[in-house]
Amino acid sequence: MPGSASTTHRPEGLIDRLRSAAADGGEAKFKVLRELKNQIIGNRTKKLSYIKLGAVPSVVSILSSASSSVDCLLIQCAATIGSFACGVDAGVKAVLDAGAFPHLINLLSHSNEKVVDAGARALKMIYQSPSAPKYDFTQPKNIEFLTSLLDKTNENVTGLGATIITHSCQTPTEQTLLSNAGVLKKLIHLLHATSPQRDASLESFATIIKQNPHVITNHVGPQNGSTFRTLLDLTKDRYPRTRLLACVCLTLIKNATSSAYVESVGMRTKLILVLLELVEDGGQVGDEALFTLSRFIEDDEGLQKLAFEANTVDKLCQQMVKESLQGKRLEGLFTALGSICSNLESCRSIVLQSPKALTVITEGLTHTTTEVRIAACICLKNVSRSVKYLSAGHFMTEAVIMPVIQLLYDASTSVQVAALCTVSNLVVDFRTHKSLFVQSGGVKQLVELSKSMESSVRLNAVWALRNLMFLIDNRCKEEIFMDIKLFPLTRLISDSNACVQEQALGLVCNLVNGPGPMDSMMYLFTEDGILLNTVGRELRKASRTQVLVQAMYVMCNVASGKELEKEAVMRQLVNEEDAQSIIVSLLQSEVASLRTAVVWTVVNLTVPTGAGALARVVKLRNAGVVSQLKNMVNDPCLDVKLRVRTALGQTMTFGDFST
Amino acid sequence: MPVRMVESPAPSNSSGANSGQTCLQPCSLLSVGQAFSGTQNVSSPQKDEAWRVNVRIQGCDLDHGYLCGTMEALNVPMADTPVVTFWEGEIVDTKNYTFFTNKWKATSEVDIEHWTKFPSFSPLLTQVEVDGGKSLDLTNYQYIFMRWKEQYFVNVGADCGLTIAGFYYVCFSCVDGSINGYYYDPNSSPFQKLELKTTNERRSGFSFSSYELQ
Repeated sequence: MPGSASTTHRPEGLIDRLRSAAADGGEAKFKVLRELKNQIIGNRTKKLSYIKLGAVPSVVSILSSASSSVDCLLIQCAATIGSFACGVDAGVKAVLDAGAFPHLINLLSHSNEKVVDAGARALKMIYQSPSAPKYDFTQPKNIEFLTSLLDKTNENVTGLGATIITHSCQTPTEQTLLSNAGVLKKLIHLLHATSPQRDASLESFATIIKQNPHVITNHVGPQNGSTFRTLLDLTKDRYPRTRLLACVCLTLIKNATSSAYVESVGMRTKLILVLLELVEDGGQVGDEALFTLSRFIEDDEGLQKLAFEANTVDKLCQQMVKESLQGKRLEGLFTALGSICSNLESCRSIVLQSPKALTVITEGLTHTTTEVRIAACICLKNVSRSVKYLSAGHFMTEAVIMPVIQLLYDASTSVQVAALCTVSNLVVDFRTHKSLFVQSGGVKQLVELSKSMESSVRLNAVWALRNLMFLIDNRCKEEIFMDIKLFPLTRLISDSNACVQEQALGLVCNLVNGPGPMDSMMYLFTEDGILLNTVGRELRKASRTQVLVQAMYVMCNVASGKELEKEAVMRQLVNEEDAQSIIVSLLQSEVASLRTAVVWTVVNLTVPTGAGALARVVKLRNAGVVSQLKNMVNDPCLDVKLRVRTALGQTMTFGDFST
Repeated sequence: MPVRMVESPAPSNSSGANSGQTCLQPCSLLSVGQAFSGTQNVSSPQKDEAWRVNVRIQGCDLDHGYLCGTMEALNVPMADTPVVTFWEGEIVDTKNYTFFTNKWKATSEVDIEHWTKFPSFSPLLTQVEVDGGKSLDLTNYQYIFMRWKEQYFVNVGADCGLTIAGFYYVCFSCVDGSINGYYYDPNSSPFQKLELKTTNERRSGFSFSSYELQ
C-alpha cells in the first residue's frame, strides 16, 4: 500500500526547511541548500516553482549572513543562486531583487579560489541574461575592476569579465573606452587559453570591434598581424562554436576596413569554406553561420563571386529543401541566399533552376515568424533582380504574387516595407498588360500604402507603382491612374521626402511615355494642368538632383507630344520674367544625367516640323538657351555633347537670327 | 559665335593606370525602354528576303557590360504570328568583355571578319588583333560594340522551326541611335545584316521611361 509522501520532498517542505535554516543555521543550511541546488539544476520547471515559492531571498539571506570562513556554505549559496539565474530571466530578476549582486561581488575577493570560482560562475550566469543590469564602463574604477578580472587565471573569472563586456558594451564610446584601456589586448591574450575562455573572449572581442572602424584600425590594425593569425588559427579549432566566433570576428574586421586589408592574409575563400562547413551543423552554430556568411559577402561582389565558386548557392539550396526546417534556419538560409543573389545573375539562375527553391522561398512568405517573412521577401527581391527571368514572366504566377500581395496587408510595418521592395521588382515583367497583379488587388493596396504616414512605406509603395507603370498599355495606365487619382499624385510629387518625390516623378514620366498619340498625356492637363504645374514648381525649388532629373524627363516626355504639349512645356520652362531661364541654370549643372535630361527636352522643343517651332526657338534663344548650348559643344559627357549637337542643329534650321 | 566641335573619331590606348578598367558612359538612346525598328536581311542564294524587326531594350547594366531586351521578327514566313525572342548582350567595354568572343563557335578570325564589316571598327583593328582590344579605352568612343545572343523564344515554342543558335555582332551609334549587326551561326547564311533605327513611336520627339530594381 503506498504511503503518503514526505513533506520534506515537496517544494513547500523544502522551502520551510530553508526558511528555518536561514533563521537558525548550523549544518542544516548546507544540507538544505545542497538539496535545493540538486533539484533545480537543469530543471526549468522546478526553478520557476521555487522562485514562485520565494526560495531565492532565503538563499541570499543565508549568503549575506554567512561567515566568510564557512567556505563550503558560501560555495553552496553561490552555486544555488547561479543555478537560479542560469537560462531563466525570472531567476535573474529574483536573484537581483533579493540583493544577491553585492554579496556575489564580495566573493570574488575571497582567499579561497573555490569560493571565487563559485561567485564568478554565478555572476556570469546573471550577465548572460538580458535582464542583468548594465555595467557602467564610464567609471574608471569599474574599468579597473574589469581588467583585473581579465588578468586572473581562473577561467570563470576571466569568463565573467568577458561576459560583462558582451552584455554591456553597446555604444562606440564604450567600445573606445574599453579598447583604450587595453581590454582588447587582454582578450587577444586569452584567445590562447582554455576553450571556454576562448569562446567568451571571442564574443567579447567581437562586441568591442563591431561596426567600429576606428577601434579596429587603432587596435587590430596591420601591426597586429599576430591577432589575424590567431583568429585564422581558431577558424580551424576543433570546436564548431570557436570556429564560428573566429569567423564572426574576421567578418567584422573585413566589413569595417578595406577588403584588401583583410585579403592580405588570404582568408576570403577559406572563411567562406569554413562557414559553409559550419552551416552543416544542425543547431545554433549552423544557424549563426548562415547569418555570418551573409554579413561576410553582402555588398561585396568579389566575395559573392568567391562564394559562388565555392558552390555556396547549391549548398544553400540543398539545405533549403530539407524537411521541417526551424524558423531561425529558414531565416538564415533566406538571408544568405539573398546576399549572394544580390549582384550575380549566375547565382540567381541556380536558385531559379533549382526545382524547389522558389517554392520554399514563397512558402516562407507566409511563415508565422515575422523575421522569416521579411527574410523571404528580401531573398525573393534579390533573386528577382534578374531581367531575364522577369521578362520570361517567371514570377508573375499566382504562387508568387498572391502571398506577396497578402504581405502588403501585414500588421508589421517592416514586413510591409520588405514586401513593397519585392513587389517593386516583380511588377517589372515587361508585359504591356499586367493583369494578374492588377486583378489581384495589388494596385489598390499599393495606392493605399502610398498614403501612409510612414515615409519608408510611402516611398516603396510609390516606387512599386512607378515600376508597374513602366511600358504598360493605355488601358492599364488608365486603371492605375483611376486608383491613384490626380490630387494624391500631385501631393506625392511635392512630398516632404525627396526620395518619394523622385519615384512619384518617375511614375509620371512613365505615365506620359509610350507610342503616340497618347491618351495618358491628358492627365497632365486636367484640372487646369495641376499635375504639370506641380512638376514645373518642383523644377524651380527642388535641390535633390534625382528629383530634378525625373522632373525634367517628365517635361521631356510631354515635349515629345504635339504642339499643345510643347507649348505647355515652354510655359513651364521659359518665363520672360525670370532673370535666368530654369533651362539655362539646369544646363549648367555639374551632374551629367541632369544636363542630358535638359538637352533632350530642348531637342524635343526644337523639332523643326511643328507650326510653332520657330517661335519656340526664338524664345529659347532670347532666354539664353542657345548660347548656353554653344558653350556645351565640348561637354565632357559624350551623351550631352551629342544631344547638344542635335539641338543646335535643329535651331540652325531656321537660320541664324541671333542678331 | 559658333564654336568648333571637338571630334573624337578614334579611341585612345588607355594609360597604364586605368588600363581598360573603365565602364562605358551611359547613352540615353541605349537605355531601358528604348525601341528600335528595321530589318534583318535573311537572303539566300536562291531568294532575296528581309524580315521586319523590332527591338526593345529591357535591361542595361554598364558596370557588368550587360544589356538585354526583346527582338520581334514580323514577317517570318513559317510563323503565323510575329516571333519574339529574348536576347542578352555583352557590351565590349574592354573591362567585362573584349572583341574576342571565345565561345559560341566564334574564333578570333571569325570575330575580326565580322567586326571589320563595321566602318567604325577600322581605327581599332590593329590593337584588337594584338589583344582583342583589352588595352583600348572606348569610354568616349561614339560607337558601342556588342554581341547579342538570343536566349529563348518568348511567344512561341522552341519547336517553331526557327533557330536562335547563333548570335549578332552589333555596332550601336551613340550619335543617332542606329544599330547595325551581323548574325553569325556557322549553320546559317553568313553575314545576315541587321539594320535598326531608333524609333520615336509616332511621337514628335524622344521620350524616356524607366524602372529601378531594388
